[in-house]
Amino acid sequence: MNDIIDGLAALVGRDNVAADPASLEEYAADESFVPRLAPWAVVRPGSAEEVQRVVAWANETATPLVPVSSGRPHFHGDTVPSVPGAVIVDLRRLDKVLRVDRRNRMAVIEPGVTYPQLRAALAEHGMRLTMPLLPRANKSVVASLLERQPTLIPRYNFHLPEPLRSCGVVWGNGDVMFTGEAGAGPLSLEAQWQGGLVQADPKGPGQTDFFRLLTGAQGTFGVVTWAAVRCELVPAAHDYLFAAADELDELVDFVYRLDRIRLGDEVFLVNDAYLARLLVARGEDVDADALPAWTLVLGLAGREHFAAERVAVQKRDAEALAAEHGVTLQGDVPGTTAAAVGALVGACCDEPWKLAAGGACTDVFFVTTLQEAPAFVEIAHIVADAHDYPIDDIGVYIQPQHQGVTHHVELSLPYDPADADDMRALSDELAFNLMATGAYFSRPYGSWARPVYNRDAASRDALRRVKAIFDPAGIMNPGKLCFGAPRVPGRAAAPAAASVPVGKEA
Amino acid sequence: MSPSYAKPTTPAETAASSPQIGDDAYRALEDIVGAANVSRDGAVLDTYAFQWLAELVRPDQSHYMPRPAAVVLPGSTEEVQAIVRLANKYGLKVKPHGTGWYHWSGPIKDTDATLQLDMRRMDRIIEIDDQNMYAVVEPYVIAAQLQAELLPLGLNLNIPGVGCSSSIVASACAYHGAGPDTYFMGGNAENLLGMEWVTPEGEIVRTGSLGSGDGWFCSEGPGPSVRAICRGTLGSRGGLGVYTKCAVKLAPYLGQTEWEVHGTVPAYRLPVHENLRVYTLAVPDWDAWAEIYYKIYDNEIGYIFHRQFNLAGADLAPAFWLMYNDADKILNDVPDLVADPEIQKLTEEMRISFQLILQGRSKDDIELQDKILSAILEEVGGWKVERFCEQDMAEFTNLYLQRLGHKHINFVWAGGYIGSWMQFGTPDWVKGYVPTAIAGLERDASGGKLVQCGGDAMMGSGSGIPLGGATGLEQFVSYDPDDYESTVAGIRHMEDAVKDAASIKYPPGKEFIYLQIGWSDEQIWKALANSKQPQVFRYQTQIKAAFDPNDTGDRMYPTLPLEYKPGG
Amino acid sequence: MALTDFRPDAMRCTRCSYCKWIPFDLVKSARFSAGCPSIEAGVFHAYSAGGRLVTMLSLMDGRSEVTGQVVDIGFRCQLCGNCDVACKLCRYDMEPLAALRELRAHLVESGRVPDSYRPIIERTRAALAGRGPKTPADRNLWAAGLGLVDPEKEACDVVFYAGCKYSGEESLRETVRTQVRLLQLAGLTVGLFENGCCGGLADKMGYRAEAGQAGSRMLKQWQAAGIKTVVTPCADCRHTFTRVYPTFEGARDGIPQVLHTVECVAQLVRDEKLELTLPVAKTVTYHDPCNLGRQGEPYEPWAGVEKKIYGQAVVYDPPRPRYNGAKGVYGPPRDLLAAIPGLELVEMERSREAAWCCGAGGACREAFPEYSAATAAERLEEAAATGAEALATACSRCELNFAEGVAAAQDGAPGAAAAAAGLEVLDVLELVALSAGLQKEA
Repeated sequence: MNDIIDGLAALVGRDNVAADPASLEEYAADESFVPRLAPWAVVRPGSAEEVQRVVAWANETATPLVPVSSGRPHFHGDTVPSVPGAVIVDLRRLDKVLRVDRRNRMAVIEPGVTYPQLRAALAEHGMRLTMPLLPRANKSVVASLLERQPTLIPRYNFHLPEPLRSCGVVWGNGDVMFTGEAGAGPLSLEAQWQGGLVQADPKGPGQTDFFRLLTGAQGTFGVVTWAAVRCELVPAAHDYLFAAADELDELVDFVYRLDRIRLGDEVFLVNDAYLARLLVARGEDVDADALPAWTLVLGLAGREHFAAERVAVQKRDAEALAAEHGVTLQGDVPGTTAAAVGALVGACCDEPWKLAAGGACTDVFFVTTLQEAPAFVEIAHIVADAHDYPIDDIGVYIQPQHQGVTHHVELSLPYDPADADDMRALSDELAFNLMATGAYFSRPYGSWARPVYNRDAASRDALRRVKAIFDPAGIMNPGKLCFGAPRVPGRAAAPAAASVPVGKEA
Repeated sequence: MSPSYAKPTTPAETAASSPQIGDDAYRALEDIVGAANVSRDGAVLDTYAFQWLAELVRPDQSHYMPRPAAVVLPGSTEEVQAIVRLANKYGLKVKPHGTGWYHWSGPIKDTDATLQLDMRRMDRIIEIDDQNMYAVVEPYVIAAQLQAELLPLGLNLNIPGVGCSSSIVASACAYHGAGPDTYFMGGNAENLLGMEWVTPEGEIVRTGSLGSGDGWFCSEGPGPSVRAICRGTLGSRGGLGVYTKCAVKLAPYLGQTEWEVHGTVPAYRLPVHENLRVYTLAVPDWDAWAEIYYKIYDNEIGYIFHRQFNLAGADLAPAFWLMYNDADKILNDVPDLVADPEIQKLTEEMRISFQLILQGRSKDDIELQDKILSAILEEVGGWKVERFCEQDMAEFTNLYLQRLGHKHINFVWAGGYIGSWMQFGTPDWVKGYVPTAIAGLERDASGGKLVQCGGDAMMGSGSGIPLGGATGLEQFVSYDPDDYESTVAGIRHMEDAVKDAASIKYPPGKEFIYLQIGWSDEQIWKALANSKQPQVFRYQTQIKAAFDPNDTGDRMYPTLPLEYKPGG
Repeated sequence: MALTDFRPDAMRCTRCSYCKWIPFDLVKSARFSAGCPSIEAGVFHAYSAGGRLVTMLSLMDGRSEVTGQVVDIGFRCQLCGNCDVACKLCRYDMEPLAALRELRAHLVESGRVPDSYRPIIERTRAALAGRGPKTPADRNLWAAGLGLVDPEKEACDVVFYAGCKYSGEESLRETVRTQVRLLQLAGLTVGLFENGCCGGLADKMGYRAEAGQAGSRMLKQWQAAGIKTVVTPCADCRHTFTRVYPTFEGARDGIPQVLHTVECVAQLVRDEKLELTLPVAKTVTYHDPCNLGRQGEPYEPWAGVEKKIYGQAVVYDPPRPRYNGAKGVYGPPRDLLAAIPGLELVEMERSREAAWCCGAGGACREAFPEYSAATAAERLEEAAATGAEALATACSRCELNFAEGVAAAQDGAPGAAAAAAGLEVLDVLELVALSAGLQKEA
């Protein structure tokens, strides 16, 4: 057995190390355009202690590590190794909901906990977590939050990492630490809980927002072994209103106003193509031609006292506001049903729904201020047109974040895998055009990273200095963002592939 | 008048014992900012050395922190850069402050030659983006100024607990940023968007979307956020570079866009808009206090949420505030009011009370919120304090909390105020230290060397993090800085508070941060090394090494030497 | 008094910087939020009230000495009192304005004054010694032909005291004569009894001895003449009579009733002895003179000691009256303007106790003319921002500073308040006179 497998097996048990081609192939590529590169092993730690041991080992052996928490397929290229000799640290065995605290509305989860799993655990306590839009069922909650994936309720989004609070982390140098208020307490969650601490404040400790070194980091600073999340209460009353528009511009002012006065829970915009795919993924009947060009979804929720009345009052206020903005709010969506659209909220999808339309899909997403969004959509049309990509196939999802200050704009382009080369060119051209016209690629995956960090060289330099502190050997997912290959050269040649499947005696 | 306890000295001795900068360096500063904007006149320097709380931590209870070597007023980011580069060249410390209201605003060590940067020339509101709800400001824009510009737009901003006289940039980038508004509006940490940072080496880093040239609206990224090393729970308090601009997220304001402030100084009043309600609420005991906080969080009502008026001390507060609202009365009148049977009843009625302002989107909404509040009160056995909900006091409370422009009242009794306790956690957890905090203040004030206002002089945000979930109660301990024994009693109280907290297995509170200002490096390192996760500060050591190789920042950015071992 | 009397104030200053701003509750815009002209011009913290308290402490503690910078700090201040109002928003134990005055007096006693002070005080001393260029008769030339009586010889309802500026400045001649004629129109017999300066300027400069000499002489003369009521159009003089004279040894009982002319005229209008019937179609904004507004409160000198209650809470025995601008003379001028048909009164953002200083006070007009003019320009910008056509006030020095500021704006002078070039500067009583139908003199 080669060194890597032996070394890892000593840490986590032979059963939890894989180096067979099939296992490696699972991580060698994803749905993005990043170059295919297989890892040399997959390790599946079962505890934070095992994670620490793996990271320590990786430092000793100068082995690149790529943390992965969600099941396949992956979409952004961040889980595909960028350098040879990498080991995938698959965290899905850390799959416990460690604590649910209704009184303080906090839950503490491990990285392998998925949305369906957490939803079920929280529901027992009358709680839920503000969620992204139809994540896949095997999506890790922690990974989603760490990567600042947008969530559906802007008024809860007091800053972009919400609802992520304190975390437990193994830094790239092998140090174990807690972030946030948990970092000011003993290095034991049990001890903290016994002392009445709930890991609610994500800030700090000290003068450093350690958790912000982990968000958007694509696993380049360390491995998160648990995360505390702030939960919301399950509404006792929940209704939906919708606004249809031919042009996105018609809805912009109204959405601004909704966000501003924090009216409603869920607020998001989708175009017909995106909505159709969401509904089809849920097995709903859709008359795609009848769907509005643009749909605004407005969820109205009531919790605790007078829940139904809360919804009724919000509805009246929303309708009055809509009238002021020349928008009509309906209880239904042409081409589908209110129930079908409402059911998207809080739902997960067993299948990777984005791939359903063409077999492959490329997403180009960024953040901006809402009034810029229509122009960016127009750029997408222009670039698509130039590449003979049908404009009508472009799915658009706009998610207000940070209580209306930031908006996530996602352009989703399904395609036939046979057209991958063309689509890659289209995708890059689109991204670079958008960057050049003011779209902020706050999560620079794959080919976006170089131009983003060229534009912001000062941040790039600062981040590299900080990375050198937390991951001095450069073993954490090298090649991502603005971080190059590990400082110490990796192994010269790939180890011999295991001759027997893992778990069986040689 | 108490006898002066200042140690005798002479101007020459004071100058000789204060760090100096060379004439070349001084001349270079004049070249950078103009001769009118730099000084090393002794008296001028002393006006920067003089600080509240200095007398609690300095040798011989001096009211002065160390003198800066020079005071400089930069007028632009470029001037700041030039000053910082000069400091690197000449081995000087750089210590910026906004409005400078805290003893860590000034130089910290007698052995450091420090350039005190007074940022008051950088006072522009650069932009208010109404639609996207953010404002961009320079360091000397204070919250009152920005709020006045926002109200006509139907916008508001989070004003930290220190009040509206404070620098927005300092609060968001360099200190804490929580206050009565945070529950609804977010703290200034959450509200911080792009910022412009002159690093300790004199480079400029623009964070978030700003660095990419895409505007101010997003503080995150690209990728992980550089802002991570600029502030955490607290910011660097001037110890890691200079923040020259920042943007903050704003909040909706649905009250009157033009404030018709009326009344007689000092107790001005603002009519309560029909979309708002202004209440002082009370509960029978501390268990109910925790309950009502949780229920407010869960029911998601509340715009401004604070236990404010109790800062005067539960035994005296109602009398004090009613006195304050009578233009013909002075502090001499407080004892008579305290003795008044009606006010005695009121004092008991509001012994465990706090303030809550509701804001509704519409008439229906605010009436519904009122109903929800009534239901909550019934559940916990609480009530509205009628006298303080009457029009005069409601209008006073409305303006007081919205503008937060009376925070110098923290010092009203005797001119000195210490904030002790204030450990931050869930209401259940905070409730746990209340009896000890109360008993401690009663004990420490019993000798008459601190103001005796009852043991409960605690004040705190309804939630210091947005949406609810974490609060804190800060004892307002009043001492007379002109009286040596009172000042010493203040120090003893801080030390006692640390011990009292430890006795019930709580971490030390705010007083611990104050005390550390007067400690030696070794004392601080020992405390940091004994913290639960000392590597936090070792990481900060490394961050400082990476960004401040010439050590221009002081220890307000705390670091722990990597090789340090307590006792070794 | 001595610097050390203010040691407690200095020790209890918290460096909150409230003294630099108007009361925060009153801030309506970022542009017009500052309250202290001195720190706005002087930039270092030492130029605020809190900074001056620390300067005093530093001197008292022997940590620093009086340098040219300290002299500048001590005197580049209009003593406008905004700091006092702002500090007292939250404090009952601080007297910042009194401390500033003490610092100034201390520097005078030490012989450390701005160079520009020396000729001014020499003139004052000469006038007090009877060596001045103007005789009492010269002072009263402005009143020629008005029929003012000699109160030592004839009964009169009020004695009019013009003050140095109104009696001496040609540009104010018409204004002061109009004020007297207005009183006469209301049926008052007006006496004239003015033999010299009230001593106000010397007092503001910190020359207590000279101010005391002038005041004592004035009081003796008033007593000898049996003067019961003095009416003055000068806010500075009113301030000196009502706030400074009572502090003189033995002065208290000898001070007659002192009214500003606007107070007197407002009462006459209320008593229907003056009718304001003619319309004056103007939009006017009113400037509260510091010495009539926040420093125009009824005043009783106090002597007592500090005592502690509740262990350490600072109070006074006997109780020390509180002067925080609450009871300044704000109403009468506004009542008058409101009573004029057709006149629209618009308020500046900083008004009443929060009014921005005209710049002339504290001897700054004389000693620091550029600083004084810059302060006035700021106020003129604020007045122009209201959209008013005219700026009315009730103080000679304010009127002079504003008139010069408008002239500078019209000349396009650098630093002038360009927006105010079209503003008319008026005395409140000029507008009242128009409405009362008082004809202009030939």
